[in-house]
Amino acid sequence: MSLQQVVQPRPSANGFGRRRVEREMGSRLDSKPHSGKSNPNSFTIAGAPNGSKVGGYESPSRDWLIYLTTCLIGHHVEVQVKNGSSFSGIFHATNAEKDYGVILKMARLIKDGSFRGQKSLSESIGKPPSKTLIIPAKELVQIIAKGVPLSGDGLANGLQCEKRKDIMIDSLISHSHHVDVQRELERWTPVEDDLQLPELENIFDNPWNRNWDQFETNEALFGVKSTFDEELYTTKLERGPKMRELEREASRIAREIEGEETLDLHLAEERGFCFHEDFDIDEETRFSSVFRGVDDSGYEESEDTTLDSRNTETFGGSSGTVISRSFSDVARGRTDGAQASSSSLSMDEAQSSQSIASKDLHRLSSIDHAKQLTSDCVSKSGKSRMHENQFREQHGGKSYSTESTERKICRVGEETQTSKSEDIQSSLNVKKAVSDKVGLSPSATAFAPSSSVSSKGQENASLVGSSDSIGAGTIKAVNSRGRSGSSTSSTSEFVAAPSASSGPGLSPSSSVGSLSSEKSSLNPNAKEFKLNPNAKSFMPSQTPLRPPSPVSEGSFYFPANVSAVPHMHTVPVGIGIAPSFGHQPVIYNPQATPVQSPQPYVHPNGPLYGQQMILGHPRQVLYMPSYPQEMPYKGREF
Amino acid sequence: MAMDASYGDEFAVGCFISIKTALGDEFEGQIISFDRLSNMLVLQEGSKTGPRRNIRLLQANYIKEFTILGQAEDPLDLKKCYLDLASLQAREEAAIRQAEMEAERIGVGVTSDAQRIFDALSKTLPVHWDKTVIMVMSEVRVCSPYLPENVTGGTPAANDRVKKVVMHIDTRI
Repeated sequence: MSLQQVVQPRPSANGFGRRRVEREMGSRLDSKPHSGKSNPNSFTIAGAPNGSKVGGYESPSRDWLIYLTTCLIGHHVEVQVKNGSSFSGIFHATNAEKDYGVILKMARLIKDGSFRGQKSLSESIGKPPSKTLIIPAKELVQIIAKGVPLSGDGLANGLQCEKRKDIMIDSLISHSHHVDVQRELERWTPVEDDLQLPELENIFDNPWNRNWDQFETNEALFGVKSTFDEELYTTKLERGPKMRELEREASRIAREIEGEETLDLHLAEERGFCFHEDFDIDEETRFSSVFRGVDDSGYEESEDTTLDSRNTETFGGSSGTVISRSFSDVARGRTDGAQASSSSLSMDEAQSSQSIASKDLHRLSSIDHAKQLTSDCVSKSGKSRMHENQFREQHGGKSYSTESTERKICRVGEETQTSKSEDIQSSLNVKKAVSDKVGLSPSATAFAPSSSVSSKGQENASLVGSSDSIGAGTIKAVNSRGRSGSSTSSTSEFVAAPSASSGPGLSPSSSVGSLSSEKSSLNPNAKEFKLNPNAKSFMPSQTPLRPPSPVSEGSFYFPANVSAVPHMHTVPVGIGIAPSFGHQPVIYNPQATPVQSPQPYVHPNGPLYGQQMILGHPRQVLYMPSYPQEMPYKGREF
Repeated sequence: MAMDASYGDEFAVGCFISIKTALGDEFEGQIISFDRLSNMLVLQEGSKTGPRRNIRLLQANYIKEFTILGQAEDPLDLKKCYLDLASLQAREEAAIRQAEMEAERIGVGVTSDAQRIFDALSKTLPVHWDKTVIMVMSEVRVCSPYLPENVTGGTPAANDRVKKVVMHIDTRI
């Protein structure tokens, strides 16, 4: 224990001076404080020799004082002295033998209670802190310390914090003080007697005409002239005699779309339809954009007829309602023509497992049709939705136009149809055979499953996503999925596709051109896909996660989370669902496959995507079939 | 001024007490400990929020009046109390280092305005005091009254930069 020699106190009222030396506190803690050593405190008040007070030092209260005092070492404290002044500094030591005096380091006067009184703030700031400040017990009134860790855990944490202070991590810098205790959060409830402000009540009504023009006001108040010209930002509208017709047409289509019935909660709410029978839909389902259940954002059943007719046109095959429906689901949209053809395409394909080449040809043509129609419609309506639809159709068309086999695979899960494992197999084989159309087929395949699964909405989402010039990508993805290995060639096919999907005015020719770059785009001999509504549903060997009935109704492959991940272009996250697809011992491992291969088309998980279809697992399952996911993120390298 | 009752406090650990001091302070707290020998009363203030507490050591002689508000149990858990001297000393050293760093930033004998300007400059420029002159980047000097025209020295670029900063400080203030 080190003792310091006592220095005779200099009589100075000024707290800055060194008054006397106190014994180091720290060293005393090792042993009970004792007065064995000579007591330098000859200046203490009573002057009584410390030795006589030994006994008192052993009292528990004394011990506590010492303990608490020790806890203060190194802590910032405020010390108030007799004349009212306050000093702030780092607690260094105390003389706890008899009286209680303290030593502070780097102390500053923060409050001057002496008669010299209120010095101007500027001066007080200008004084440097005293390296050591001794406050005798006589002067000491109180010591205030905030945030002192007293007990064990506090000590441990506190000291850790102290150590870390040297490293100025951001959280330390921004947290000037300790974090507040988490407060209890209460749900807000409106108080009845809150001020009723009528003008705020309907603030969202009538957003287009609130009798207040901000531009006028600005000009009046500040002389700011608006230089806004709509045509700088959007296509110039041709205002002519046909304008009204076009406008009417556009609004008609708009009304149709907006008046569509939908099973999608969000859309239904927007459009004002009441929702489902089960009113105990929780808030999350109602308002969240996370998709967790059946969603058919807009897939219509009503377009069947048109589709059918178109189908017949293009393919001559008799496409059942199912077929057209499936496609309509896929390509939700008002451009009937395009859709119809697309859907018919898909349908047909599913049905027939003919030579792929021919099918392709058909598909391609249908795609063309679809595109044409879409483009026309788009240009007329100019509605973004149309565009969306168009894209979807295109994609759908593309996908559909591809292999029937793919489609079949897709359908398998859902529809019913003839998709038997053998068919799928054969179709797969066929697909492989066709390198040219590979691009197309995968897309078709990819697309088909989604459509077949009841998720209309999903498909749309995926389609839309893909449409952003990612269409090709999706298709590519599909390709890779749908076929193992042979998709490579298709990839090339589809590379062109994205260009096609670059914009609403996607010219069919471009896409077709790309497709046909290899050779004659469509296989003239391909048998059109005819959906056979009476075909047996495909049942994977493993128990399907869903009962077959829901599958058949929409017959659309409803990817569980497509809506949630429309733009997710990462590995499709399929969780847990891996029904064996037909005979293929495909292990559903979406994560493993798609992303790794640099060639998007090569998808080792080929048939996987077929499986996913089957799984149209409605809820809870965070099942993200790889296929649907790929749709939206076309063009993205995995 | 010493009140006899205060000596009884040592038996009243855990007691909630309201105190008025001779210097005019008023506060409430819970007694943690009382040392009769030195007449020091240790109080815990505020509600206990975790291991860290606000502590007040009061020289009981300065208690003008007090009221006992209630009785509760000992706020200190005896089992959990231990000391780590090494870390305490480390804490002290760290605190002193910190304080010294901060002390460097305070000009001796300068006005608070000057200090304010110094602080503002230090946010973006390396500054230190040279008596009452602000030294920026060790080459540009800003003397009282610390206006843009008082910026001298240094390369023209540095000088301009400091001038600009000082100008902006002024407008903000």
